[in-house]
Amino acid sequence: MFKHLFILIWNKKKQNFLLLTEVLISFIVLFAVFTLLVFYYRNYKTPRGFDYQQVWVATYTNNFNIHDSDSLHQFYESLRNAIQAMPQVVSVAFVSSNTPYSNNMQMNGLQYQKRQLRSVNSYIVENSYLPTLQLQLLEGQWFSPADAAARKTPLVIDQTLREELFGNGPAIGQLVGDDNQQQIIGVVQDPKFNNDYSLTGKAMFSAPDTGSIRSLSRALVRVAPGADAALEGRLYKLMANTMKNANIQIEHLDEKRNSANNFALLPMIILAVVCGFLIINVALGLFGVLWYNINKRRGEIGLRRAVGATGSSIAWQLVAESLLLATLALLVGVFFAIQFPLLHVFDLAATTYLWGLLFAIVFIYVLVLVCSLYPGKQAAAIYPAVALHED
Amino acid sequence: MISLTNIEKVYRTDTIETLALNSISLDIAKGEFLSIMGPSGCGKSTLLNIMGLLDTPTRGQVQIADQPTQHLNDKQLAHFRNKKIGFIFQSYHLINDLKVLDNVELPLLYRHSAAKERRLLATAALEKVGLSNRIRHFPTQLSGGQKQRVAIARAIVGQPEIILADEPTGNLDSAMGHEIMDILLTLNKTEGTTIIMVTHDEIMARKTHRLVRLFDGTQVQ
Repeated sequence: MFKHLFILIWNKKKQNFLLLTEVLISFIVLFAVFTLLVFYYRNYKTPRGFDYQQVWVATYTNNFNIHDSDSLHQFYESLRNAIQAMPQVVSVAFVSSNTPYSNNMQMNGLQYQKRQLRSVNSYIVENSYLPTLQLQLLEGQWFSPADAAARKTPLVIDQTLREELFGNGPAIGQLVGDDNQQQIIGVVQDPKFNNDYSLTGKAMFSAPDTGSIRSLSRALVRVAPGADAALEGRLYKLMANTMKNANIQIEHLDEKRNSANNFALLPMIILAVVCGFLIINVALGLFGVLWYNINKRRGEIGLRRAVGATGSSIAWQLVAESLLLATLALLVGVFFAIQFPLLHVFDLAATTYLWGLLFAIVFIYVLVLVCSLYPGKQAAAIYPAVALHED
Repeated sequence: MISLTNIEKVYRTDTIETLALNSISLDIAKGEFLSIMGPSGCGKSTLLNIMGLLDTPTRGQVQIADQPTQHLNDKQLAHFRNKKIGFIFQSYHLINDLKVLDNVELPLLYRHSAAKERRLLATAALEKVGLSNRIRHFPTQLSGGQKQRVAIARAIVGQPEIILADEPTGNLDSAMGHEIMDILLTLNKTEGTTIIMVTHDEIMARKTHRLVRLFDGTQVQ
């Protein structure tokens, strides 16, 4: 019977061309949407790598009049101690401007054994950054006061960068950078600093030195549960009094996270809405074409009933024809879609594409099935004597 | 072979009730070639549809090959039609998107015959009607007479005991009509197939064994 249906579809390829194109375009759009959804979902399920709750970000303009880096160190030391001494403050760390959910990025290259890695997120952070953000240390150690005496500049990297540089080999103690001036002392779990739906990628953390201390422009403050606006006011006052003429703004990381997540989801929501309308249009189109085909084929349906088809076999035939048509369109669509993982387009994991492909295929089949069930049922109900008389 | 007892068919709409067949009783013997005549709208096709189990009578009984048919369900009726009855229509009812051979194979498809067997039987049927050189053609590439011969091949491919022909020569010119009639007569004679034919053509009707005339749904001869 499948061969018979295939012959019927093949001989009507001109009439079926529009339907095939409609299914093909829908599949390609669905493949893109599902791949994106799978990508977002997988990123969402990846551990965050740090704790954003009860963390405030104080942004300040660091145009204070201290030219000597030692004095600047002392300035930050005394400010840190002052903030730390406030009730309900758990820990505080001064960092560069690329704090979590800030949309700020600082990218640097990193050299390792003649290999030059590009686009590595670079974070200048104080020792207290780890407990403040509660990053997950996987290997080695975090920065400590003893690092000041180290001959090589200590560097902490994230897991992605670790795998990129060393694969399964040892990372701790490896020398990187120009003239091997930096030494890996620790590896942390990949932090998701942009939002919950995207990964940060390669990242390295270094302590502020005489040069980079001037790039510190944020204070991350972990506060105890129950910390309120009064503490926020006191913190603001303290910083404003200490940093004369600086503009200070205090934000909560959980609010910034919500905002960053909403911003990340916006294109997905827009795409889903557009896709939803497309699917409704395709469904109506499919339904209309199938309905029209049945009315055009009443004579054929009557004849098939006369020569031995049951009502249910007529319904089955029409549903099977639709599914076979969808299969032909999907074969073309899958050919194009499979090129994405094969050619590593957009640098997504192959399994992300494959899941997107699978969901799109299942969705198309369900859509075609749902759209052809009712016309199929109507075709089954056609009275053969009437249909044969009409034609 | 076919026994109709007090067949009555009433078509009802919300406002009108039309009596299409009124108390028709008819016995058709195995191997008989019967023609049904009557003016348009007298119920000939309705009667043929009831005999072909494509329609059900409002009252009365239909017995085919000693089997009462009123209690058969959709699946059993379809099976019965497939095995016992071949249909020929005035407008041929060929599927234009299928080649001649595929059209002829159609009844065997619902019998779940193997592809090879279908090919053999369909080719043999087409040879019987003299169309073995047209098996790869589409119906649109054939003349009216050729189309009707394809329809006859389709009707006989499953070797049914009964053939129901609804004005098989109605769309053909006289010469073609006689050709088709000769094929049907040969089938009746050589294979012993019972044939019931609805026709408007007196000459064709006279070639058959028996003539039944209907008028306003009632049998008058």
